[in-house]
Amino acid sequence: MSDEAASAPVKLFFREAIARALAEEMARDEHIRLFGQDIGAFGGAYKEFLGLFERFGPARVRDMPVAEASMVGVAVGAAAMGCRSLVSITYMDFLMLGLDPLVNYAAKARFKTAGQITVPVVVKATLGAKGQGVAHSQCLESWLMGVPGLRVVAPSTPADAYGLLKSALREPGPVVFLDHKRLFPIAGDVPSGEGLVPIGSAAVRRSGADVTVTAHAAMVRVALDAAEQLAAEGVSCEVIDLRTLAPLDVPTLAASAARTCALVTVEEGQVACGVGAEVAARLAETIGPLPVARVGALPAPVSSSASLERAVLPDAARVAGAVRRLLRQRGLERA
Amino acid sequence: MDLDQAAPLLRSMLLIRAFEAALMRRPDHGFQLLSQGEEGVAVGVCAGLTEHDQLLCSGRSIAPALARGLAPGSVMAELLGRSGGPCRGQGGRGHIADPAAGFFGAHAVVAGNLTIAAGVALALQSEGRGGVAVCLFGDGACGAGALHETLNIAALWKLPLVLVCDNNGLAISTPRTAALAPAALADLAAPFGVPGAAVDGSDVLAVAAQARLFVEAARAGAGPAFLECRSPRLATHSSSTRETRSKTEMEALRQRCPIAVLAARLEAVGLMTQEDRMRMEGEAAAAVAEAEAFAEASPPADIEEALRHVG
Amino acid sequence: MIYILTVPGPIEDVEEVRVLEWHGEPGRRFEIGELLVELETHKALVEVRTGQPGMLRRILSKAGDWQALGGALAVFSDGPDEALPDSADGLASIAVDFEIS
Repeated sequence: MSDEAASAPVKLFFREAIARALAEEMARDEHIRLFGQDIGAFGGAYKEFLGLFERFGPARVRDMPVAEASMVGVAVGAAAMGCRSLVSITYMDFLMLGLDPLVNYAAKARFKTAGQITVPVVVKATLGAKGQGVAHSQCLESWLMGVPGLRVVAPSTPADAYGLLKSALREPGPVVFLDHKRLFPIAGDVPSGEGLVPIGSAAVRRSGADVTVTAHAAMVRVALDAAEQLAAEGVSCEVIDLRTLAPLDVPTLAASAARTCALVTVEEGQVACGVGAEVAARLAETIGPLPVARVGALPAPVSSSASLERAVLPDAARVAGAVRRLLRQRGLERA
Repeated sequence: MDLDQAAPLLRSMLLIRAFEAALMRRPDHGFQLLSQGEEGVAVGVCAGLTEHDQLLCSGRSIAPALARGLAPGSVMAELLGRSGGPCRGQGGRGHIADPAAGFFGAHAVVAGNLTIAAGVALALQSEGRGGVAVCLFGDGACGAGALHETLNIAALWKLPLVLVCDNNGLAISTPRTAALAPAALADLAAPFGVPGAAVDGSDVLAVAAQARLFVEAARAGAGPAFLECRSPRLATHSSSTRETRSKTEMEALRQRCPIAVLAARLEAVGLMTQEDRMRMEGEAAAAVAEAEAFAEASPPADIEEALRHVG
Repeated sequence: MIYILTVPGPIEDVEEVRVLEWHGEPGRRFEIGELLVELETHKALVEVRTGQPGMLRRILSKAGDWQALGGALAVFSDGPDEALPDSADGLASIAVDFEIS
C-alpha cells in the first residue's frame, strides 16, 4: 500500500469513531474496563460499543443495573486501584445520580490523598434533546466546568470523538466525555492512523474577521449554518469549536476575540452560569472588555413535543440574529 | 482465650483511646469524630486483614487508621493538617489514607465510600491475589440507596467485599428506631443473598472471630458479607455536637467499653494483672506523646504543594 | 429501458448511508423481491429488494462507498443488451422495497 493510501482518512459514523477509539485503547491497555447499561451484547444505545463485548469479553465490558451511583462508584473505585475505567451514562440527565462518586471522590482523590490515589476514569454521557422529553434532554456540562480536578470534553465530529476519547483514556485523572444524541447520525473522516486530539485544544472551524462565534457539540453545526447565512450578508464569522470545556483553550479563543472584538457564544444548555458565561468572562479578563452575546436554550425544560423542542433550542436563525444585534449595537457604540 | 491473640488487640484499643484523649486536650484539635467506645470494631476487623487487603472507612477514621497500623505520629499530623501526615495534611480526618499500607482510606460523605469499596473489591478480584476490600460505615449510612446498590452489585459479581456496619445506634442525634425500619441491620443483606451476622461490638474477640470468617470466605471466592457490630458511642457524635443522652444512659454505656470488657475478661482468667494493664496504658501514653511531638514538629500543609495535586 | 437505483427513502434521521454488501454482480438478473444490496445507516441496516424484475448492469457505489439519500447506487435495464447511456441524468428510478432492521 502506498503511503498516501495508508494515510488517507476513512469515513466513519460517529458511533464507529467511538467504538474504534475504545477498541484501540482496550487493546493497548489490558486494564481498561467498560461499565454501562446495554453496552455488552446489545452494543450500546447508539451502537457505539458494537463489537467490543465479542472481542474483549464480559469481564472487560460489563453491563450494570440501572443504578448510576454504583455505576460511577464502581468504575471510580476500580480506577482508583489502577484499573482504568470508562463508565457510560446513557443520558447526561442521569449523571446527576452519579455526581457524588464523580465530584466528591474521583475529582478529589488526588488532592485529598496528596497523590497517593489517582482516578483514571472516563465518564461518558450523551447530551442533548431529540424528542425524549424534559428529563432525557438536558445539557448540563457547565455544571462540571468549575470542578477542580475534572476535565470535560465535548467533540462535534467523528474525528474529534475518536481523538478526544483516546486522549481521555490516557489521562491520569477523571474526564467527562460528552457525546450528543444529534451527532450520532453524522459521518465524517477519521485519520486512518492513530489521531489523538489533545485535551485543552479548541479548533477554528471557519475563519472570519467580524465576530468570534464559539460553540461545542451539536451547536457547532448550528453556528456554521448561521455563519453561512451571515456570509451572504457580508458578515464574516470566525467559528470556533471549543472541543474541551475544561480546561478551555483560552489562548486560541483570546487570539480570535482580540481580532474581531465581538463574541457570540452558542450552547444548547442554559446561558445562566453556562459555558458561554465562562468563555465571556475568561476572554474579558484576558483581553479586556468585549461586546458579548450568549445564545442558549430558552429558560425552560425541553419538552418532547416537537414544536416546543424546536422553539426552545437555539437554531441558525437565532444565532444569526444574535450576531446581527451584537454588531449593530457595537456599531452604534462606536459611532 | 489466648493472650497472644488478645494482648495486641488490647494494646491497639488502648493506643486509640489515649490518642483521642490527647488529641481532644489540644486547643488545635479541629473538627473530629471520635471512636471512643467503638475501638473494638476497627481493631477486631483489622485483626484478620493481611497486606493484600484494603480497608475503607467513613469519617470516623481514627480507630480504623491506627488499627490498620498507620504510625500514630503521621496520623496525628494528618488530623492537625500538617505535612507529616500520609496525605500531607490535605485530607485530614475525613479523608486520611495510606493505600500502600492497606488503608484505602476514609471518605467523609456518609455512605460515600460504599460503591467505591465495591470498585476496589472488583479490582482486587481481577488481581487474583486473594485480596479483600472491607468497608466500615455507621448505622447512619444504612438508609442510603448506595448501600442497596453496593449489596446488589457485590452479590451479582461475588465481589470480595465485607461490609462492616458499626452500629452505635445514633446518626448524630437520630436514634436507629427513628431512622431505619429494620431493627437488625444485618438483615439488610438478606434480600441479596448475602450472608449477614450481628455481633456485640464491645467484644473485640467476637468481632475479630466473625470478621475473620467473613474475610476468609471472601478471600476464597465466596462473595460478599455484611457484619453488624453493635457498639457503644461513648463520646458525642463529633467535637462540635451536643450530647443528647442522659447521665444514666451514658453510665450504662460505659459498662460496655470494649477496653474495660476485654481487660476484665483477661483479669478474670488470670491472664493479665492490674499492673500489666497499667504498664500497657503507660506504653500507650508514651507512644501518643511521641506522636504529638512528631506532629508538632511537622510543618503545616503547603498551598503550593497542594495545588500541584489538584489534577 | 434503463433505470437508476438510488438510495431509498425517506429514512427517519438519516442523511447518508454506507454501502455494505451487493448481492449480485453486473449481469445478474433479479426477480421481484430479491435482496439487491444492504446499506448501513448510523443505527440500522437497510435491505433493498427489487420491486420490479431487471438486470444489474453497472455498480456506481461499491461496498464501502458512501451515498446520500437519493444518491445513485447502480444502473439496471430490462434486457441484457440495451446500451448504457454516458450519464445517469434523466433515468427513471427502478422500483424497490426496503426494510430497516
